[in-house]
Amino acid sequence: MTIGRRVFVKSGGLALFSLGLDPLFLARAALASFRPTVRLSDRPTLVCLFQRGAVDGLNMIVPHGDRTYYQERPRIAVPEQDVIDLDGYFGLHPRLAPLKPLWDDKRLAAIHAIGSPDATRSHFDAQDYMESGTPGVKATPDGWLNRYCQHDREHDATPFRAVAFGPQLPRILAGAAPGLAIDDLQAFGLRGPQPQVRDRLTRAFEELYAGSATGLLATSSQEAFEAVQTLQHVDFASYRPADGADYPRGKLGKAMLEIAQLIKAEVGLQVAFADVTGWDTHVNQGASEGQLAARLDELGQALAAFDRDLGERMRDVVVVTMSEFGRTVCENGNSGTDHGHATAMLVLGGSVLGGKVLGQWPGLDQAQRFEGRDVAVTTDFRDLFAELLARHLGASDLSAVFPGFSPDPTRFPGAIRG
Amino acid sequence: MKTRLESLILVLACTATGLGAQQPVLTPRDSALHALNRLAYGPRPGEVERVFSEGVTHWIDRQLSPEKIDDDALAGREREFRILGYDRGDLAGLYKEIQRERRERLQKGDSAAAKADDTPMAQRGRGLAQQFEQLAVVRAALSERQLYEIMVDFWFNHFNVYFAKGADRFLTPDYVEHVIRPQAMGKFADLLIATAKSPAMLFYLDNWESVASGSLPPAAMHARVRTFFGRPPGLFGPVRDPAQRDSARRRAAERMPKGINENYARELLELHTLGVDGGYTQHDVIEVARIFTGWSIERPQQGGDFQFHDWAHDAGEKHVLGITFPAGHGMDEGVRLLRLLASHPATMHHVSSQLCQRFVNDTPPDGCVDDAVAAWKRSDGDIREVLRAIFAGPDFWAPQNLRAKVKTPLEFVASAVRALAVDPDTTPRLAQIVARLGQPLFLHVAPDGYPEMEAAWVNSGALLDRMNAAMALAAGKVPGVVVNLDSLVAPTPDPERLVAAVDGRILSGTMSANTRRVIERQVSDIGDAAQARVLAVGLALGGPEFQKQ
Repeated sequence: MTIGRRVFVKSGGLALFSLGLDPLFLARAALASFRPTVRLSDRPTLVCLFQRGAVDGLNMIVPHGDRTYYQERPRIAVPEQDVIDLDGYFGLHPRLAPLKPLWDDKRLAAIHAIGSPDATRSHFDAQDYMESGTPGVKATPDGWLNRYCQHDREHDATPFRAVAFGPQLPRILAGAAPGLAIDDLQAFGLRGPQPQVRDRLTRAFEELYAGSATGLLATSSQEAFEAVQTLQHVDFASYRPADGADYPRGKLGKAMLEIAQLIKAEVGLQVAFADVTGWDTHVNQGASEGQLAARLDELGQALAAFDRDLGERMRDVVVVTMSEFGRTVCENGNSGTDHGHATAMLVLGGSVLGGKVLGQWPGLDQAQRFEGRDVAVTTDFRDLFAELLARHLGASDLSAVFPGFSPDPTRFPGAIRG
Repeated sequence: MKTRLESLILVLACTATGLGAQQPVLTPRDSALHALNRLAYGPRPGEVERVFSEGVTHWIDRQLSPEKIDDDALAGREREFRILGYDRGDLAGLYKEIQRERRERLQKGDSAAAKADDTPMAQRGRGLAQQFEQLAVVRAALSERQLYEIMVDFWFNHFNVYFAKGADRFLTPDYVEHVIRPQAMGKFADLLIATAKSPAMLFYLDNWESVASGSLPPAAMHARVRTFFGRPPGLFGPVRDPAQRDSARRRAAERMPKGINENYARELLELHTLGVDGGYTQHDVIEVARIFTGWSIERPQQGGDFQFHDWAHDAGEKHVLGITFPAGHGMDEGVRLLRLLASHPATMHHVSSQLCQRFVNDTPPDGCVDDAVAAWKRSDGDIREVLRAIFAGPDFWAPQNLRAKVKTPLEFVASAVRALAVDPDTTPRLAQIVARLGQPLFLHVAPDGYPEMEAAWVNSGALLDRMNAAMALAAGKVPGVVVNLDSLVAPTPDPERLVAAVDGRILSGTMSANTRRVIERQVSDIGDAAQARVLAVGLALGGPEFQKQ
């Protein structure tokens, strides 16, 4: 399912490759030569959280005003009295309670019935499409966040422009523009007993890779050493979250904490990405309590802590959750849900037009469902992503980011102040 | 076959020479190194010369018959891994104890609850799990049956299960030992059927709970409702209070599966056999799921074996890929379907493509795939014949495919261990390094297994981690790995001699001029010859040449 960067080499640059020059390297060299003048501290940041495994949008943003919801989910529906009502029809799962103040403050919006125009129910395909930004087209070599970085160059080349918090660079950030994968901010770089040893090793490896590496090894190592140099000036070890913000234990809390640290360090973080796993609830999904509730609990706490920690800085930050598809309207034979179609996404931040469930709600009746079983898609995910890029990050060339798709502001869900 | 391969190497060498100086020439020594890079986890010191003297084709032939290769040294080391003395049932029992201790602590209140995941039993369980991950690295590094170990890794990824999902915590070791390893070089159909029947896969992809709509287990018809599949209501602690017992029964009844689950059916078609472009539809997925209703596990919480539940099977007529499965059949139609899928052209192409990606190039060459598919047809899916065809094909030996692949974290760590000729023990530190580099073993959560593409492994953070791991290994700072550089590279105050020795012994002569120059300069001002040697070896292992295979 991973297409990766080799495809770029194969399709676009075979001639260069056989001469021993990597076109990816050339593309990056070209990008690096561009030096505009926006101050790092003035940059807006977009944080993307990918709920891998397909989150059950119906139990995250609950249509408690719909009887069908309760009829089709006798064992796993969130009981009416537990739902945190938002607008009389939709409500938050009770474990997302930490987000209610943000909703009331109009800084949190939800988009329902959002998803892919492609009908696949394969995790891998659907994730691939959501990350490539080209539903139905597998051969797209790069991810849409990376293409945004390629085509919108109103920023100088900081190695921290696009950072994935995790051990691997995800598909969404794969491509010609440099991206950084950071698994642990504090341990980033060469290790040694004393600073002199560290510096010596850093220099030695830098020279090794600068002179001997080719292709991806060359470009990735170059990015690595630039990043090491920048982080040397920041003291992460003594960091304390502001305003008593309490990040939940676990991978997501750690990723959100590190994203907040990098934003405050003003190293030019523009696009941050993290995975949140554990949403593939085929069996014993639970209702107000249980498996899904535990995952939502962590999500709600992490988002609330992040918002509190960043305080005023949230003015320039937007967090969006995404997931490859939703889950079946009916519960399955194992008190779980199977792969469905549309899901719900959350958008949080200072520039968000919050306090609303956006998108056109298709209804849950059999006739209104996709293939008679799933929530129908009424908002193409690219309309939301395009709106975030255009209105939050100020992107200029959306057609290059989403090839084969003409982003149309009249179709934007209206999540960001225009 | 031998003569074809040998003449091919000769032809390629001549052709390459004819093309001029820019093209690398595939010497017999190059081909020995290439074979060791791809059919093995890299060369040990002096091994390129040994394979070259034996004859590369002879060595490849031997690797294709692992059962004839003596592997006593590894067998001795394996005996130290206590995990191999536990069967599914033992591990299930241990897991049950861990759950019991955990619950007890949670019930006791705050201070005890904080350590609920850190009970003595839990530590023992974790220790065994880590040992199992370490065992995979040790086998990769030490086994004489190198190609076989590579195929075990390949098939585990192809038929991936997730070690941390519920019962797979105690089913996964058994899956590796008794499903993947015995069939890794046999017929694809046998391997496919073995995975389909394995409790680990049945649990991982939920098929064990997939039942025909409306079916009920015989036990549920009795007045005394037992929990599903014989799981006693009191499994999670003694239930004394009758009200509590009723509620446990009610919950158990609610948990009882009431319909089909498509998960296994979908991944079987998409990942295990046909491939995502294999021409099946959502309707096929549902029909396949119906065929596998009743393929379940006997007492899953106790580490039980495969069991077919006739009562849960949908005996109606089904249609898959246009083929009719008549009504009235039971487990036999599942086996029929698996055999059909195993020899389907889309499956041959999909799996051959993945093998070519693993052994030849991230972008599998068409010719390699065609050769593999042809061998698959000829041999009725005999894995070793498919491999033989790949290794005999021109793509495998094509100069542009030499050192064209970046090592995965497992390949990087295992090859470093081999290059240093060290003998790691059961301390799980090497497995932790592999995890740190992005590939926690047996812990890829999605059913597609770890990717084989370099883009998945090469990024700035992971590269820095590789450099750190290389330095730690060279300095002998990895617990459980005793490094003796004296047996590899004699200490010398002469930087040029030191670096030449490191190039010859560790990098098999692949060191670039730049790397040589940089390392020479780095060691030139270090007075202590032993320290200089550690730095030279660490830089070589962490440098760009060693990341490739």
